[in-house]
Amino acid sequence: MDNTSLKELETQRSSIAENVVLLARGISKSFPGGVVALDNVTLDMRAGEVLALLGENGSGKSTFVKILYGVYTADAGEIYLRVGDRLEKVNIGSPADAMKLGIMMVSQVPQLVGKLTIAENLALTLKSLKLHGVKSLTSISKISKIIAEESERVGIKVDPNERVYNLTYTQKQLVEILKAMIIGARVLLLDEALTYLPHLERKRLYQALMKLKEEGRSIVVITHKIPEAMEVSDRIAVLRAGRLVGVVNTRETNIDQVRAMMFGQERAKQISYSRIQIESKPGEPVIVVKDLYVEDDYGREAVKGVNLSVRAGEVVGVAGIAGNGQRELVEAIVGLREIKGGDVVLAGVSVKKGGIKLVRDIGIGIIPDRLIEFGVSIENSILDNIAACITRNGLVVKWDLVRKFATSFINEYQIVTPSPEAPIKYLSGGNILKCIVSRELEVARKAIVAHNPTRVLDEASAIYVRRKIKEKAAKEGVAVLLVSEDLDEVLMTSDTIFVMSSGKLYGPFSPDTPREEIEKYMVM
Amino acid sequence: MRLIVVKRKVLPRYVAWAVSAVSLVLGIAVYLAIMALLKTSPLDVLVNIARSFVNPSIVKDLLILIVMGCALLVSFKAALWNIGGEGQFYIAMIPGVLFTLYVFNPETNPAPAPIVVFLSIVVGALLGGLWGLLAALFRAYLKIDEVPVTLILNYIAYYFINYLVFGPFKGRYVYGYLRTDEIPVMYRLNLRIALPPTTNPIVATAYGFIYQLTYYIALLILAVLVYVATWALMKYTRLGLYIRIHGSNPSYLKAIGVDPERVIPLVLALSGGIVGLAGSIYLLVEFHRIPYGLEWQTTGYGYLAILVAWLSMLDLKFIPLSAYIVSVLRNAGIALQIAGLGGNEQALLLVGSILLTYSMTRFLVEYEVKVEW
Repeated sequence: MDNTSLKELETQRSSIAENVVLLARGISKSFPGGVVALDNVTLDMRAGEVLALLGENGSGKSTFVKILYGVYTADAGEIYLRVGDRLEKVNIGSPADAMKLGIMMVSQVPQLVGKLTIAENLALTLKSLKLHGVKSLTSISKISKIIAEESERVGIKVDPNERVYNLTYTQKQLVEILKAMIIGARVLLLDEALTYLPHLERKRLYQALMKLKEEGRSIVVITHKIPEAMEVSDRIAVLRAGRLVGVVNTRETNIDQVRAMMFGQERAKQISYSRIQIESKPGEPVIVVKDLYVEDDYGREAVKGVNLSVRAGEVVGVAGIAGNGQRELVEAIVGLREIKGGDVVLAGVSVKKGGIKLVRDIGIGIIPDRLIEFGVSIENSILDNIAACITRNGLVVKWDLVRKFATSFINEYQIVTPSPEAPIKYLSGGNILKCIVSRELEVARKAIVAHNPTRVLDEASAIYVRRKIKEKAAKEGVAVLLVSEDLDEVLMTSDTIFVMSSGKLYGPFSPDTPREEIEKYMVM
Repeated sequence: MRLIVVKRKVLPRYVAWAVSAVSLVLGIAVYLAIMALLKTSPLDVLVNIARSFVNPSIVKDLLILIVMGCALLVSFKAALWNIGGEGQFYIAMIPGVLFTLYVFNPETNPAPAPIVVFLSIVVGALLGGLWGLLAALFRAYLKIDEVPVTLILNYIAYYFINYLVFGPFKGRYVYGYLRTDEIPVMYRLNLRIALPPTTNPIVATAYGFIYQLTYYIALLILAVLVYVATWALMKYTRLGLYIRIHGSNPSYLKAIGVDPERVIPLVLALSGGIVGLAGSIYLLVEFHRIPYGLEWQTTGYGYLAILVAWLSMLDLKFIPLSAYIVSVLRNAGIALQIAGLGGNEQALLLVGSILLTYSMTRFLVEYEVKVEW
């Protein structure tokens, strides 16, 4: 480092506020294929603060926190951590390094061993970090005591002896946060960790986070929901195409300003949550669900006698809190899950008899909730993923045609990728979802069954996708069944609304029904 | 100081070749060091190994291993672990013996050689395919892992052939040995050419390669055809696409309406069929008869091909290189035994040392190691 930059750094350090716990300076990162994920990003994290990190899909948010957590190594830049009254440069080569330094990340997918109890899971972490005097895996009772004390203190109720596979998704995420507290995390990174949580449970989790904030910990929340960021954060940092657009104090800004930072003035202006109005004349029923019974993965009855009909050109929305049988309903409708009772008839053909092959043959598009399992094959390229779905006949794949589709999807949906040949695994979650949505809207001739089609998309992309779905129904006469945990999405897109709760369907409601009334059924 | 391992953004062209060369040198160095500890002259050992790199006798192994490497690559790409190359290779020899010695015996019922050879190869390949298909059916419909099944099928093939050689295929002109009669010359696929004598060792080596490639012309044609066909299959066809996706996420195949349980039999039958091609042609170009007790005398191509596929990191481009390395090592081992520098265990030690260093350095193709002070 030359003298000028040393001086510059000294000046910066002296001006850094005393409450800065972690400073990431000049972080850059590129991925194979040449995608620049981060370009010279400098950002600080402060004690007793919630920092919301916002940005479009593929803007580099996840990459940034993964560098802080040692999952990725930065191509350039340094990380400084507060030690006493000064900031010291640290090398974070692995998540274990990060945890030892008091940096903990919670991602969308809980990193817990299902067959072990909560205490045993924690024992594994504490032993590897040699924390709390845990040197072997036999100190379970000691660890259980620590868990009980800590959970009592922050108001998170868990039984240390419960096996992880018995926990709900929310409980698992709570355990992850508890784990962060027990290892003494000074910086807690939440990488879309709350995205899959139902609204009420997300609120509960934020309450727990507020306690951590009061204790002086630094919390970084990655979310694509601006209102949520406004509600829980003290500062908001916005990334766009790998660059830091700016950092603002939440109290001194508003949603429009943040939107403009994220998307630019022009695109931000187009964001609206009013109902998408496109004239359509519904035709004959295409999706008919008759007295359907379906079991979940554990053999419990998840769908209990559901009846439903979606006509050509119509969007039927099913709202509901996650875990009320929506996944089982959708998977049974498209032939990915066994039908235990009743039947589903798609374009006049029984799914019970024909299965998924028939569903695809008659031109049903599927946007699944389990993106990585049923939506894509991540080791394969974007081209491969499109080709498999679109080329259904003939010995040879028409790669020229597939390439045309890929290029048009990438341009139209603004998918951030090094090239169409790039493996899907190099794409961010939002861009993976865009690949799926664009492909499935293309193959759908009769109907689309979409489950949370915009969950990991940024606001602008989500609204764009909702409009495309609505257009597909209205202009091409495709029947759309939209199952979503996002009530805004259901309200702005659907012609008819149902609510799913405890495996049963309530409704129909008109889109003009007061929101509160629909919410009442959601929490029944 | 710390070592940072990062995935390469761009792969320099020379890296893959450099890594192979370095691992080869390192592996031989490890082997020499062990031999020196055993008080065997490293120089003598080195000379024998070096000669194997340019020894024309590797041609046959190289060609067979390219074919079988491609066959296993097809199934490994689909995450279907065909360990049954041995069984598929030998079971495919049965039609050759049946047609050339019994059905169309030149003395009793002669038939045009091209027809008999064609039948022997095609039915042999079908039998190899059937052997792969058996394992696939267990996997697809009974959910029994294909690894033990293909492995067990190797032994079933050995013993079934032993039964045939001991019984219905027992040779009449074998001086009491337990083996089949030799395949009539008219049905063999070798081509012999006469080359002028030379004292120049380089020219002699070149002549050696020319002679071997001509003598095994059928294997050469097969290797080229199979290699090109495998490339076309994986790159252009729908089945190739399904194979790649099955290897990564069979659930996605299911979600697009393709039944993975139908892909599995296709892939394993195809893989077994290619191995069957190699086996049936090997009978006509090299084996010329089947001995009793195959399990003790196997050439081990079915197992060596697993190494070939893995060394290539399931990249078709590297199959010829991997096949070359494995054939050199096999022949170096034999050369060391002939030179009295060790028994079979020394040959295995050499192979093991090189595979060890190859596996350790192979990751440098995908990852870059930086040292930060």
